[in-house]
Amino acid sequence: MKIVVAVKLVPDANAEKRIDSETKRLVRTGVETVLNPFDEYAIEGALQLKERLAAAPGSAEPATVTVFSMAPESAREVLRKALAMGADDAVLLTDAGLQGSDVWATAYAVAAALKKVGFDLVVTGGLADDGNTGGVPGALAEYLGVPGLTNARAIEVADGKLKVQRETDTGYQVVTGPMPALVSVTMAIGEPRYASLKGIMGAKKKTITTISLAELGLDRAVGSDGAKTEVRELAAPPVRGKGRIVEASDGAQGAQVIFDYLKEKKLV
Amino acid sequence: MKNVIVFVEHSGGQTRKVTFELATQARRLADALGGEARAVVLGAGAQALVEQLKAYPLDVIAYAEDPDVDTFLLDPAVDYLVAVAQSAGPSVVLLPNTMLGRDLAGRLTARLGAAMAGDVTGIEVDGGSVACVSPKLGGKVVTTCAFKNADYGVVTIRPNSFTATAGGTGARTAQIEKPAGKSYAMVVERNVEEASSELGLEEAPVVIAGGRGMGGPEPFTSLLKPLANAFGGAVGASRAAADAGWVPYGLQIGQTGKTVSPQLYIGVGISGAIQHKVGMQTAGTIVAVNKDGTVPMGDFADLLVVGDLFTIVPELTKLVERAKAQA
Ligand SMILES: Cc1cc2nc3c(=O)[nH]c(=O)nc-3n(C[C@H](O)[C@H](O)[C@H](O)COP(=O)(O)OP(=O)(O)OC[C@H]3O[C@@H](n4cnc5c(N)ncnc54)[C@H](O)[C@@H]3O)c2cc1C
Repeated sequence: MKIVVAVKLVPDANAEKRIDSETKRLVRTGVETVLNPFDEYAIEGALQLKERLAAAPGSAEPATVTVFSMAPESAREVLRKALAMGADDAVLLTDAGLQGSDVWATAYAVAAALKKVGFDLVVTGGLADDGNTGGVPGALAEYLGVPGLTNARAIEVADGKLKVQRETDTGYQVVTGPMPALVSVTMAIGEPRYASLKGIMGAKKKTITTISLAELGLDRAVGSDGAKTEVRELAAPPVRGKGRIVEASDGAQGAQVIFDYLKEKKLV
Repeated sequence: MKNVIVFVEHSGGQTRKVTFELATQARRLADALGGEARAVVLGAGAQALVEQLKAYPLDVIAYAEDPDVDTFLLDPAVDYLVAVAQSAGPSVVLLPNTMLGRDLAGRLTARLGAAMAGDVTGIEVDGGSVACVSPKLGGKVVTTCAFKNADYGVVTIRPNSFTATAGGTGARTAQIEKPAGKSYAMVVERNVEEASSELGLEEAPVVIAGGRGMGGPEPFTSLLKPLANAFGGAVGASRAAADAGWVPYGLQIGQTGKTVSPQLYIGVGISGAIQHKVGMQTAGTIVAVNKDGTVPMGDFADLLVVGDLFTIVPELTKLVERAKAQA
């Protein structure tokens, strides 16, 4: 069984972000590119599944985990991290013509690449940390033409069928579907493992294959030409200043301070 | 794009509050675009919700009380929404930025070849073209994104970003015809309710969030829940509390959890790490209770009361309950 984890590279969320006042673009220098934190859970979910399948009695051919990303060439370094966690190999879709792709264009191009790579199961994170849009997994499932079981907190494969616990706002639902399929995972799938020293050494020998846009033979434009959205403006958010800090002498007094403040704000 | 379509999220016979925020925006946008505002309500209980929706300024309320919508995952709902969108012609589809809303939005984006904007907090129409405002990169920048090259736009809206204004305009109701020749493969075998999960944390007007300072699961129920109830709000948590297993991950607020934008957020025993802050910094008012006056929360909270949460919270609950009883 071939499991492909589709990951995104994002600017480190914890780095300070500055907007260039002239170009109105984000200043990228000094901001490290990291694996989207949600996608680390996708890798973890895929590795767990691979391990469980290997341990299952009478399992046929061993499962493999391929990490896939559409990203600049410089993403190789970040993909090594996924390989060090335990993925078997990696594929990088990289091309200057992909720059400026929006949700639609990303899903369109990535779906074509994943078809080329081949898969039984595609695993993704639920959201991207930078855009917080969450649209790509669903759009990918559509373009791949496979079931899309989203927000899984547990994945099981039995008799070529998929069974997931899908998180909802009030609990979860048990959902089944045929494979090939796409699954997106939530954090409840399990804490991403750290790469071991052996893993880090081993990752250096694993292959990262690249695919270019031309190889996909797309019939529609992607990148900023094909994108259906265009960033018109970037602005700094309103700053939240420091407010009042009040020492409470006891519980009742502390509560009264809050209550009076809320009353002043007409919130009670 | 001319018409505006609102997806109505509901459960247990109740329309989610965010729907009314969406409906109000749909009216404004439809007027600006010279089209109609249509709501789509699907699945068990759909027909009964039509009356509720009539209180809002919609032109058409389309419904399909089809058990397939609840038996099969997402696909039937996507088919209905696509059918409505195609019959409406070029249009903007508004969905709530919730788990379900995001799932459907992604699927619709592909099916309609649409422009998509997620986690939107403002929409502008300028000379017939639509642009969406949304915070990105953990709220560190605010982008304005214009739609182009597309007949359809799909937008997920952050709950509590817009006010809902009631006022019916005599909407027509229409039953949506079942899309023909479809069979569905993703089967919802059962639904498991976990009592401790909160419905609508993202849209609660008041959020009371607890962190590591709560010390265990019990104070979430004995201290925070009563305070949340007194406000008519919901309980949330920091990741430290979710990781400790004190509350389900569904309650986690922050970078890797939910984004909330309530009128009032009260953080109890939460230090206010950047990863938590990004999930609640657009709250109207931020109040914090912490025994340490030097925590990061103090840098952006409107009020930080330094003291013991175990003595402050019960007293505050009493004050709020008393005020409510007098009102
Ligand atoms: C990639 C990544 C993603 C993350 N995503 C998230 C996320 O989505 N959401 C999130 O919340 N965090 C997230 N975190 C974790 C974040 O960095 C913090 O570790 C976490 O928010 C801390 O939770 P806390 O404030 O409850 O705990 P702490 O930082 O330990 O704070 C507990 C506070 O309680 C106070 N306290 C203790 N006892 C009392 C008392 N009796 N009365 C009053 N106050 C008391 C203490 O003074 C302290 O300030 C993420 C981290 C990483 C690396």
